[in-house]
Amino acid sequence: MIRQTPFSLLMLFLSSLVLLFILAPLLGMFLHTEGYDLLEAVNDSDVRQSIWLTLWVSFVATFIFAFACIPLAWIMARKEFPLKSMVQGLIDLPVVLPHTAAGLAVLGFISRDGFLGKAADTVGLTLVNNPAGIALAMAFVSVPFLINSARDGFAAVPERLEKAALTLGASPSRVFFTISLPIAWRSIITGFVMMFARGMSEFGAVVMVAYHPMIAPVLIYERFSSFGLAWARPVSVLFILVALVFFIFLRLISINRKNFSAEKNAET
Amino acid sequence: MLKKMLRLEGINKKLGNFRLTDISINIPEGEYFVLLGRSGSGKSQLLELIAGLKKPDSGNIWIDNQDVTNKKIQNRKTGLVFQDYAIFPNMTVYGNIAYPLRCRKTEKNIIRKKVEHIAGELNIAHLLDRVTYNLSGGELQRVALARTLITSPKVLLLDEPLASVDASLRDDIRRLLRQLNKKGITIVHVTHDYREAISLASCVGVIHNGRMIQSGPPDYVFSNPVSRFVARYSGIRNFYKVRFINERGIWKAISHSKAGFILSDGSYPEDGILIIRSDSIKIHKNKPVLPDQNCYSAVVREIIPSDYGMEITVDAGERFFIDITRDEFRALQIAEMSEVWISFEPSAAVALNGSG
Repeated sequence: MIRQTPFSLLMLFLSSLVLLFILAPLLGMFLHTEGYDLLEAVNDSDVRQSIWLTLWVSFVATFIFAFACIPLAWIMARKEFPLKSMVQGLIDLPVVLPHTAAGLAVLGFISRDGFLGKAADTVGLTLVNNPAGIALAMAFVSVPFLINSARDGFAAVPERLEKAALTLGASPSRVFFTISLPIAWRSIITGFVMMFARGMSEFGAVVMVAYHPMIAPVLIYERFSSFGLAWARPVSVLFILVALVFFIFLRLISINRKNFSAEKNAET
Repeated sequence: MLKKMLRLEGINKKLGNFRLTDISINIPEGEYFVLLGRSGSGKSQLLELIAGLKKPDSGNIWIDNQDVTNKKIQNRKTGLVFQDYAIFPNMTVYGNIAYPLRCRKTEKNIIRKKVEHIAGELNIAHLLDRVTYNLSGGELQRVALARTLITSPKVLLLDEPLASVDASLRDDIRRLLRQLNKKGITIVHVTHDYREAISLASCVGVIHNGRMIQSGPPDYVFSNPVSRFVARYSGIRNFYKVRFINERGIWKAISHSKAGFILSDGSYPEDGILIIRSDSIKIHKNKPVLPDQNCYSAVVREIIPSDYGMEITVDAGERFFIDITRDEFRALQIAEMSEVWISFEPSAAVALNGSG
C-alpha cells in the first residue's frame, strides 16, 4: 500500500489520468454499441472474413518470420561484431517509420517491378492485393517486437550455463536447442504475442499493399469513411473482443510455461 | 616417477585489459592442486583455458601426455564445475546428470544405469526426479559434480567449489573432494581462501596479476613465501621493512623504528622484508629468561576474538599481531593497555626474497 503523502497522491492522480485515458475511449465505444448492432456485425460475412483473414495472416507472418528472427535475436544477444549498434538501429527502424511510408517501401519491394515481386511473378504469384503481401506488410512493421523480446530473453540466459553445456560435451547447436532456447522461451513467446498483436492491428502499411482482400482494420476504415461512425463501431468492438480473446489465450500459454527465470534467480 | 597429467607450458592470454602471462604448471596424476589467487587474478580464466572454453594466445596445454591446445572441448578429458554450479534450470536432476551422456548419444538404458550409479555414489539418488530450483547449495554442488564425473574426466577442474556452500556443509564437500582425489582423479581447485589450500592441497600455486608467483607443497609455500603477497595470503600480518646486518657473526634485522631482530644463520641481502608468523610469537606476563631468543617488552593495544582463539595486537616499538588460543589467553589474564613481554625464536623470522 502506498503511503498517503502529497507526493504519492500526485503520482496516483497522474497515473490514474493515463489509465483513464486508455480506458475511457474503449469503454465509451463499448457502451455506445447496442447488442443488436454487434449481433449484426457477427452475422455479416464480410466482417467475419476480414477478422479471420487478419488473425491467420498475422499469425502465419509471425510464425514464419520467427524462424529468422530468433537466430538474429540470439546473435544480437551473444555476439560482438562491428557496427552492431547500427544493426540494432536497423531492427528498430520500422517502429519509428510512419506506417504508410513503411507500406510504400514494402509495396515498392513486392510490386511487379520490385525485387521480390519479380521473383514471385516467375512462379505465378502476385503479392500486391494478396494475403502474402499483407503478411509482408504486417511483418515489416512488427518484427522488432519479436526480435527485441527474444534478444532480451537470450541475453538473460546466464552465459555460464552455455559454457557448462559446452564443457559437458554439447555442440554449439545442441547448447542452443537444449539450453539457450528453452530458457529464453518465455521471452520469445512474449515477443511472438507482441508481434502477432502488432501485425494484427496494422492499418497504414497494409492498406498501401492491399486494400483487398480486406483485413479488419481496413474494413473498419472503409465502413467509417463510407457510412460513418455508427457503422464502423460494432465492427471495431467485435474485432477488439476477438483480438482480446487471442491475446489473453496466447498470454496464458506463455505464463503456463515453466517460469525458468524464477529458477534462474533461485540458482544464482 | 608419477605420470604427468596436466602440463601448461608458457601460457599467455590477453583478456581485455588483463593478461595471463607465461603460466607454466606441471601436475602429476592424482595430485590435488589448489590454485590460489584473489578475485580478478586470472585463476578462473586459467581454468577456462584448460577446459577449452578459451584458446591461449601462445603456449601449450598437455593433458595425459597429449597436446590438447587446439583440441575440441569434448575431447580434452577435463570436467569443469563452475562456482555456482551452472545447473540447468530447465531440466530435472536426472536430466542434468544425463546431459553429457545424451550429448555423446549413449543408449538410454546405459544412461539410466550410469546416472543411478553416480547418483548413488554422491548420495543424491533420492533427488533424481526433482526439479533443481529448490535444491540446497550442497545438493546442487553434488549434482554438478555428478554431471561432470559421469564423463570420467582425467582432470577435474573446480572453480571455487566451497564458496557458495553453507559453512556447515563445507566439511562434507571437502571430505567428498578428498575421496574423489583418493580414487585417483587429478583435481585442479581454484580458490581465494588459503585455508582451503591448506586443508586439501597436495600442491599449491599462487597466482597474482595473471602470473604464477609461487608453487609447491602448501607447507613449504606458506612457510617460505616468495613475496609479501603470498605471505599475506597465508595469514601472515607481521611484515617489517628491514636492513640486514651481521654483528660479530650473528645476523640481525634492523627495522625503521630501530628494533633489532636476531635471525637464524643463513645469508641475507642488504635490505628486504622480514615476516614473523602470528602464531610463532609468545606472550608472557613477566620477563622471560630466554637468552637466545628475541624478547621485547610491549603494550597490549587490542584484543579481538578470532577463528584461532584471540588475536592480540601489541606495540613493542613495532606493531605485532599475535595469535593465541583462548586457554592461553585466559591463563595470561591480560587486557588492553597491559604491559607484557613477547618472544620468538630467531628461526620464526623469515626474510622474503625481493620486496614482494
